[in-house]
Amino acid sequence: MKRNPAPFVVAFSASALLLAACSSEVASEPEPESTSTDPVTVQLLTHDSFALSEDVIAAFEESSGIEIELVSGGDAGSMVAGAILAAGAPTADVLFGVDNTLVTRALDEGVFEPYTSPEASALRPDLADQTFGGLVTPIDFGDVCINLDDTWFATEGIAPPTTLDDLIDPVYSGLLVVQDPGTSSPGLAFLLSTVARYGDEWPAYWQALRDNDVAISGSWSDAYYGDFTFGGGGDRPIVVSYATSPPAEIVYAEGEPPETVSTSTMTDGCYRQIEYAGILAGSDDVPEAQQVIDWLLSPEVQADIPLNMFVFPARADTPLPEVFTEFAGLVEDAEQLPADFVAENVGDLLAEWGSVMGR
Amino acid sequence: MSDGAPLQVTDLVIGYGSPLREPLSFSVQPGSVLAIVGPSGCGKSTLLATIAGITPALSGSVTIGDRNVTSLPVNERKIGMVFQEALLFPHLNVRDNVAYGPRRQGVDRSHAREEADRLLTWVDLASLGDRSIEELSGGQAQRVSLARALAAKPDVLCLDEPFSALDAPLRARLAEDVLAIIARAQIPAIHVTHDPNEARTMTHGRAGGSILSM
Amino acid sequence: MPAIFLVAFLLIPLASLAAQIIGPGTAGYLFDALPWQVAGLAAVQAAVSTALALTLGLPMANVLTRYRFPGRRWALALATVPFVLPTVVVALAFRALLGGTLGSGFMIVVLAHAYLNLAVVVRIVGARWVTIDPRTVTVARTLGADTWTAFRTVTWPALRPAIASAAAIVFVFSFTSLGVVLLIGDASTRTLEALVLRQTSVLLDFQAAAVSAAIQALVVGSVLLWAARQRASTVGGAARDFFLIRARGGSRLAVGLVATATLVIVLAPVLALVWASVRSSGGFTLAWWSGLFGSNTIDAGSTRIGSPLAAMGRSVAFALATGAVAAIVGGLAAMSILTGRIGRAFALATALPLGISAATLGLGTLLAYGRPPLDLRATGLLVPIAHALIAVPLVVAVAAPTLRSADPRLVTVAASLGASRSRAWWTGYGPAMRTVMVAAGGLACAVSLGEFGAASFLARADGPTVPLVIARLLGRPGEASFGVAAAMAVVLVIMTTTLVAAVDRGGDRGGDRGGTRV
Repeated sequence: MKRNPAPFVVAFSASALLLAACSSEVASEPEPESTSTDPVTVQLLTHDSFALSEDVIAAFEESSGIEIELVSGGDAGSMVAGAILAAGAPTADVLFGVDNTLVTRALDEGVFEPYTSPEASALRPDLADQTFGGLVTPIDFGDVCINLDDTWFATEGIAPPTTLDDLIDPVYSGLLVVQDPGTSSPGLAFLLSTVARYGDEWPAYWQALRDNDVAISGSWSDAYYGDFTFGGGGDRPIVVSYATSPPAEIVYAEGEPPETVSTSTMTDGCYRQIEYAGILAGSDDVPEAQQVIDWLLSPEVQADIPLNMFVFPARADTPLPEVFTEFAGLVEDAEQLPADFVAENVGDLLAEWGSVMGR
Repeated sequence: MSDGAPLQVTDLVIGYGSPLREPLSFSVQPGSVLAIVGPSGCGKSTLLATIAGITPALSGSVTIGDRNVTSLPVNERKIGMVFQEALLFPHLNVRDNVAYGPRRQGVDRSHAREEADRLLTWVDLASLGDRSIEELSGGQAQRVSLARALAAKPDVLCLDEPFSALDAPLRARLAEDVLAIIARAQIPAIHVTHDPNEARTMTHGRAGGSILSM
Repeated sequence: MPAIFLVAFLLIPLASLAAQIIGPGTAGYLFDALPWQVAGLAAVQAAVSTALALTLGLPMANVLTRYRFPGRRWALALATVPFVLPTVVVALAFRALLGGTLGSGFMIVVLAHAYLNLAVVVRIVGARWVTIDPRTVTVARTLGADTWTAFRTVTWPALRPAIASAAAIVFVFSFTSLGVVLLIGDASTRTLEALVLRQTSVLLDFQAAAVSAAIQALVVGSVLLWAARQRASTVGGAARDFFLIRARGGSRLAVGLVATATLVIVLAPVLALVWASVRSSGGFTLAWWSGLFGSNTIDAGSTRIGSPLAAMGRSVAFALATGAVAAIVGGLAAMSILTGRIGRAFALATALPLGISAATLGLGTLLAYGRPPLDLRATGLLVPIAHALIAVPLVVAVAAPTLRSADPRLVTVAASLGASRSRAWWTGYGPAMRTVMVAAGGLACAVSLGEFGAASFLARADGPTVPLVIARLLGRPGEASFGVAAAMAVVLVIMTTTLVAAVDRGGDRGGDRGGTRV
């Protein structure tokens, strides 16, 4: 009778699990030199796009004696949904990554506990009053902008578009790919940008886009890697992406970073997405959570944000890396809609968009 | 049953790719049994498989009366087979197993079932028609297998070590039954076995019975 | 024990979620046309996907599990690979291969679904097919049946329950598909799963989401119930042996053809990935591979991707844990089918997680087990548990058809020889169980390796699994992002193939009957 492999498998997997757990612990949390009591652990709830340098986190843990545990909530929307459902008895202490399309709803559900960080005085002027009564703190912002494949335009001998109105010009027929706003965050941002620009006439604009043979993709990845002509092998040289996509192309290129990149942003019609952090109401470690919020606004973290998350720091006068200053779209007057307007109308906007575009 | 036709095998070369042995020729008269004896691996099962059409012959011919079946597929040769295991169809009951052959020949269900019952009587299992095949003993299953093969009204009956899985007294009884059935059906039969005694039993003193040693 | 598992990790999270969401107005959403329309669209798409998967998968099931040929084990393991690939990867690979001719939309989604689910058909139907004695087909032919009639009247009745199980599972997977339809679908391929996601995380309309999720669960439950009915009318017959056929003559050609076709179909998207993993704007490059394993791994020092090797180790650990848990729970659940109607109902209940969207399950688990007083996140067990929930119904589906046809007489024999009840049980069903469990465990491991949805909720943000790493890489620009993602996907393919092949080897030792010539 052959030996039953089951106990072996269980033992092996249990030890493998233990190993994996230990190794990930060791990798991210070196022993903090705490002076007095046991280290407090602050659980930081984030989304899939969150990133910071490990040594920036380690430095904070050493100096503050606070251990940071990174908890994942899925993508930004799912994270906020989870926070809303758990309001009052939260799954973490601090939430980072709720953006201006979703924040009103979270606020209404009482997800956050008020805190105004002393660091907030160092915020950029245009973000200084974006705290919704001291309940959340802006940490970074990104701009969703049209990206252009300059090489393609140069080869075809066509001048690239510079405004939203250009996109409905027949010269650019069949050259644009956008994402479905119901399934893609940049897609939604672009839709909101057109609503901000055209007001009640926005359905007419989209009808014109449809007449101009716009392609609609389900996700950013599919549009950028599938349809965009640059590096994706697609057939559309105009895509909705981020103002920081061109510098990302440089940073994430092969070998030595190239001198230039052949994509650029169209600075008209960009939509600003602001990301906030807040203390979750019901947390047991409020003082430590407050320290974490302060830390997120600190010069060290703010300077670390651009090359990790490819967004812009909220703190004024934070030095930007060179790839940003040279290649990112630095947009002065991005489109924005009031957060509560968005929260109230997003359902209707999506429904109307669907019927205009036949989806 | 009317008189059947003889089986004639001429210069038959069996094998898979290359010949297993020299060409074989023999004939079997209706109502009589050819017993093929030999140790394992000598090719007796292959010979049956070739005659039945399960395996293609390398050369030579197989005829039944004036019908040359050498290039016909299995299902058109009308050669019935009984294997060492009964190989009854699990999803059908005993009666429907036996009725399988007639059904394939286009007989409608109720007539096929009547025919099945008739044959079950031939093999002394008339009362078991409604049973599931799992309820049968080894000997009963083999009888059903025999009835099933016969129900299809084959021109030849091939038995490939049909009793090897059964115990001695059962073997003897079934051997008698098979002989009686073949005499009654008046078709040629080939009986393969590794046991020389069994070969003798199947052929000794029977009209036309002969033994082929391989 | 499986009951406890289900209650603890399925019912309680769902109840926690429901308690938060369901209110007096919820029922009103049932009258909204939208979720029903989406359900209809998804049903059509799923039906076509299932038909395609069966068309491709049945010949593969036939050849890969029943015929002896060199490399058979590897071919079988390869056929399982599509199942394990993260849907993100498959969608992009299909886009790369076929996007030029097909674009996005119905056809490419259906093809991708068939591709992803080949393993389900091959494994579930194959596990049953290999226990059917091919000589019964020979007998049928001597009784006058031509090849097709023999298949129809002898093989099909025995296979039907397994095919029904496989078809039901493929239908359910296609019906609840998320990644593929989001990435390469269009308006005709909407699913309730995508609608739930949208209602939850974009519209924050939880009540509508709950209704959509409920409708999906209803459809899935009905399909699985239907499949269980098919299984109930199953064929008996001793099936402790496995029959492997050595092909001869004409059938050799057919076997070779199918095996080759399998390789081509399975490998084409994989090769597209391999191609992408060595290409850059400068031509051929190994930079992405050294970005994985070299000293300067991509995003070194950032929390987002972490060490690719650590991610691989994590994925393997989770996979093995999932395989063990799913095999045990699923095996016990499958055995409970044999105890009668309650057992059958219970086995059906284990399939519920298939109809619950991963987002719902993830959220519910977080609410139930992600915060004080019962915070299980630190144990690292939440991911394997969630994966096991999804894998258990597959285990049951693989095991059940074979188990039902195992010979109960052996149990009686063992008992009469003085064995205690459980020992007699094990003697009677043990051999069949062991081999089937190992095969099922392999499938469960494969599920875990490629799972994305639940893991994105339940893994630590700085402890991603391989599919999470791939998704994160694909979520930002840069040829390094894409190249390294492709390389990681290739690694995932290799990991899966090896794991599954190893698991199969353990299983095959259980019962190889000598080649039976047909």
